[in-house]
Formats: sequence, C-alpha cells, structure tokens
Amino acid sequence: MRLLLVEDDDLLGDGLRDFLRAEGHLVDWARSLTAAAAYLGEPFDAWLVDWQLPDGSGLDWLRQRRASGDRTPALMLTARDRLGDRLHGLDSGADDYLVKPFAPEELAARLRAVCRRSAGAASHRVHIGPADATVEVDLAARCAWLAGERANLTGREWAVLEALTLRAGRIVAKSELEQLVLGFESELASNALEVHVSSLRRKLGPEVLATVRGLGYRVSIQA
Amino acid sequence: MKASQSIRGRVLRTQFVWSLLGGVALATALWLAMQSEVDELLDDSLRSAAELLIGPALELAAAAAPPAPPAPMAAAPAPERNGGPRFVWQLVHHGRVSTVLAAAANAPVQAMADTPSAGFINVPGWRLYGRAVGEPGRMLYVAQSRDERAEAKLELAFTALLAGLPLLLLGMLWLNMRLRQDLQPLQVLSARLADFDALQPGASLGVADYDELLPVQAAIDALVARLARRITLERAFSAHTAHALRTPLAGIEVQLAIALREAPAALVPRLQRVRTGAARLQNVVAALLAMFRSGTEVERAPLDLAQLAARLPVEGLALKVQATEALWGDADLVTAALLNLLDNALRHGAHMVTLSTPRAGWLCVRDDGTGLIQARLHDLQAALLAQDYEGRMGLGLMLADMVARAHGGCLLLPDSGPGFTAVLDLGNMPAATPPLPAPTCTPR
Repeated sequence: MRLLLVEDDDLLGDGLRDFLRAEGHLVDWARSLTAAAAYLGEPFDAWLVDWQLPDGSGLDWLRQRRASGDRTPALMLTARDRLGDRLHGLDSGADDYLVKPFAPEELAARLRAVCRRSAGAASHRVHIGPADATVEVDLAARCAWLAGERANLTGREWAVLEALTLRAGRIVAKSELEQLVLGFESELASNALEVHVSSLRRKLGPEVLATVRGLGYRVSIQA
Repeated sequence: MKASQSIRGRVLRTQFVWSLLGGVALATALWLAMQSEVDELLDDSLRSAAELLIGPALELAAAAAPPAPPAPMAAAPAPERNGGPRFVWQLVHHGRVSTVLAAAANAPVQAMADTPSAGFINVPGWRLYGRAVGEPGRMLYVAQSRDERAEAKLELAFTALLAGLPLLLLGMLWLNMRLRQDLQPLQVLSARLADFDALQPGASLGVADYDELLPVQAAIDALVARLARRITLERAFSAHTAHALRTPLAGIEVQLAIALREAPAALVPRLQRVRTGAARLQNVVAALLAMFRSGTEVERAPLDLAQLAARLPVEGLALKVQATEALWGDADLVTAALLNLLDNALRHGAHMVTLSTPRAGWLCVRDDGTGLIQARLHDLQAALLAQDYEGRMGLGLMLADMVARAHGGCLLLPDSGPGFTAVLDLGNMPAATPPLPAPTCTPR
C-alpha cells in the first residue's frame, strides 16, 4: 500500500516509516501540513495523520480533504485520548483513531482493516478473478493462493495485486497504479509496472488482471 | 458534622419567643394601666350610685323614727338582704345602720365605717364611698366588694388576652408564609446551580430575584468564571503534556519494534526487556495523565466490563470477568486505574485476576498473588481513607483511589482471603467495606 505519513516527530516518523516499509508498504513522510500539501492529487491507499502539527491541526487538514471530496482512508495518530477528542476525530473524517503510544503492529493491523473496509470487503480473505479461476487473496497475511497453492510473489508484485484488490471492480489507471506501487520511482522506470503485471499474470493466471485498453487495469471480486 | 439549620425555623422560633416576651410585657403594661383606669371607673360608678341614692335616702331618713342616742359600733337592725347584688348601700346614723338599701350576701351587718367618713375609703374586703345625708352623723355608704372589682379586672384582662392570642397566631402563620415565599429565591438559586454548566460559553446564573442575592450570585458567577478559566487552561495543559509525553513514547515503541526485527538473536531478549520497560513507562505516563485529569472532570458512561477488560494490554496475567451489576464511570480513568492495579498484581506474583461487580457501582479486582498481612492492609486502608498517600503506598493504589474519588467514591481494600483485593467504588461512599470472604493473608 502507498501511505502518506504526516508526523512532525522525527523519532516516531522515522520509526513508522521504516516499520511500514518493512511491512512492504510504500511510505511518503511529510513533517508538516505544508509538506503534505505537495502530495495532494497523488493517489494513496491511506493517510496517517498526526493531530498536532507545527503548522496547524491535522484534523482541520483532514476535514478540508473530506470537504473537497477526497475519500482516501485516514488514521488519526494522536496523544489526545479523551472521549470527546476521539469522537471529534472520527466525526471529522478519520476512519480510525489511534492514541499514542501504540504498538506499530496494531497500527499495521488497523491500516489493513481500514483499507479493507474502504474496499468494501467483509473479510481480509477475498476471491478475485473470473469465477472459474479465482485467486484467493489474504490481505492480512499478504499472500495469494491459486487453486490452493500459495503463489510466490515478490514485494512489488504483491503491491500491484493489493492495490488492484483494494480497488476491485473499478478501473485503475496505469499512472495511478504506478504511483501507488512505485511512488517516485515510477518516473524513473516507465515499463516497470508492465513487468510486474506480466509476472503476476504468469503466476496467478492471465485472466486475473484484466487490461482495459487505453484506461488501465481492473480486477473483479467474487462474492 | 454539624447539622444544617433552617433560616425559616430560626426566624420563626425567634419571632415566637420575642412575640411571647412582647406579649407578656404588653399585657403587664396593660394590666397596670387597666388597674388604675378600672379603679377610677368603678369609683366613679360608686360615686354616681351614691349621688343617685341621696334623694331616696333623705326620704327614708325623714320617714324614720327619731334616732336613739348614738352608740358607736352598736349592732345594726337586721338589714334587708337580697343576696343578688354585689354592692352594699347603707344609711348609717351615728355608727348604726338605719337602713340597708341593698346588700350582697357577704356584706357586713354593721356599719361599713366605724366613724362617719366621707369620700372613698378602703375597709377590709370592700371599697367604700361615704356621703353625708342631712343632719350631722347621718351617712350614706355605697360599697363594692374587692372580689367583684378584681373579677372585673380579670375579665377585662382575659378578654384582652383572648383578642391578642389569635392575633399572635395569625401573625406567626403570616410570617411563616412570608418567609417561605421570601426564601424561595434561595431554592431557585440552588436549582439553577445544580443545572449550571460552567463550561458553557457565557454561562451565568442570570438575574438575582432579590437585592440581597445580587452579591451572592455575582460572587458565584465570578467563582465559576475563574473555575471555567482554570479548567480550560488545565485542559490545554493536559493536551500539550499528553502530546509531549506520549509522542516520544510512541517513537520509542516503534523504534524498539524495528530494532527487535533487525537485531541479532543474542540482542533480542535484552531489547524485549527494554520494550517491556517502555510499556510500563507508558502505563505510568497514562496513570499520571489520568490522575491529572481526575481532578478536573469525569466523563461518565455505562461501562461494559468485558469490553473494558479486552482493552487492557496485560501480558502474563489471565483475566476473568464476572459482571453481574451495572457499572458507570469514565472508561479512560477506570482503564488507567485497572492498568495500575493489574501491574501491581503482576509484580506481586499474581497469575489470575478476577474482575467482578459485587454491587452496582463497585468494581472488584481480586488477584491470586501473595497478598498483604492484615496490619499492612489496615494501614493502607486508613491511609486511603485519609488520602494520606505520600510514603504510604505506591502510584497504583493512589491513582486507583483518586479515580474512585473523582467518581464520588473511594478505593476499598477488603480483607478477603488469599491474594489481594481492591474495590473501586465508583458511586456513593459506602459506610463499610464490602462483605467478602474472611481473610487468610500471607505476607507480601
């Protein structure tokens, strides 16, 4: 998943970035709202936003994003633990609220849950692809099975599969998918995405990832 | 504790006593004034009666036989007695009663006066008016018994008293009603205060109903404004402090999680111990922040003990929940208190902790650890009741007590057998410790 982390504390920001990267996510770290503004317009799977930032309130920033129609899942990371604060945070557009200090493992689990809910999946295990050749994807365990056999996917291949699964049913533009999977590297290697998609099709079957000519890619989810 | 007094009761009692004293004083003054006035009136009536009788008396004297030689104090001829009137009208000639016009039953048969006496004189039992009639030595005496005069005065006084008492009673009733009405604004003020939310913008008690209440309401408004400012400042301080303490703790936690992943195997146990220590530090910080907040406000809500227990990050302890009664409280504060009690249990050898609700508003935390000796338990309970925390207990018990007190209760340490038991009373302060099993404590 591509994540935008908005956190001013170096110790926490640095640790979260490294932890989430080690989990296989692509993390962009902004130390202020001004820095976060540079990422507006780019696709992210989720935002991790601190409430108190040096140049303003992360909650106000989130409220503005929601007002402008952005539905990217968001987690508030804050030291404010009072019931009123939690309610305020959730009512202002946060999809989840995590009080500092927290275990990073819990943060990773909540991220998966938020993104899964955002994708409309009831469980972390979903079936994608055509009805006669479905692939089971476990978003929590970060792995996929084809005909009961676990597919051996690389980190980038998983990232492509995860990004499309979380957006199952809709066409994901190639440029958006590149940004979600490769981040700033997408500008350096223009054919990298095709390589990963091709590799995925080889491992999971040619029908799993459908190409919509001139528009992008799409996976279908089975009920 | 000194019992409260009623302003209305005090005023009514004072009014009653002063009315009674005033009434007695007034009655005495009236009595004294009446004595003289009634005496004058009665004397006037005696004199008038004598003047009226002078004519008939002269006729009677003329018709009577020549008088015998004077013999003072001689027995009078048998007077005519009708027994009805309380007067004596005597015609006396040289000390002898020549004619009795009227006489009370108890009137003397001899002359009312030994020697001819004109004007008012007092003889035993009678008030007498003498008037010379015709020749020298002939006197008309008109007398009235003193009993009759006293009775007349008594009747007058009694009538005055009967007229005064209802007035006194009516006055008391009116005063009672008036006081009730006049004290109503105090009750209104109390009701307003009970519903008053000092943290609402522009909160005020409103306009006072009486001039006397103006300074009281102004003082309360000023006090509330100061308190509201202080709470606002404390909230802001609490938020900043929480941010300043919790953010680095979160950073440490995350960095340790990464270090644990990346560290060589030999270093992992040491890093794990550091992470455990960091977790304890987090609990302490949470406890300190909760303790700070417990002094300002409590956000009460129904508590689901099972959900609360599920939120507690306890490693090395098995939690058993037995929730049978309703529990209300601030989930964050109660969680902070529980975390510290569980940390205590862990440090004192417990493996199992039972959370239960022995009665509504009570949260019982019982562990199977080493417990405390009875004397230490009693000392701790006494210190908790006196809120004498310093040097007598650790942060955990102190915080649990402060959380309970923030809810209007206190922390109880019943002598309850093996292990250690703490009861968070989140409701009213109970009169006694809960009836739990008899103690079998071992030294901790």
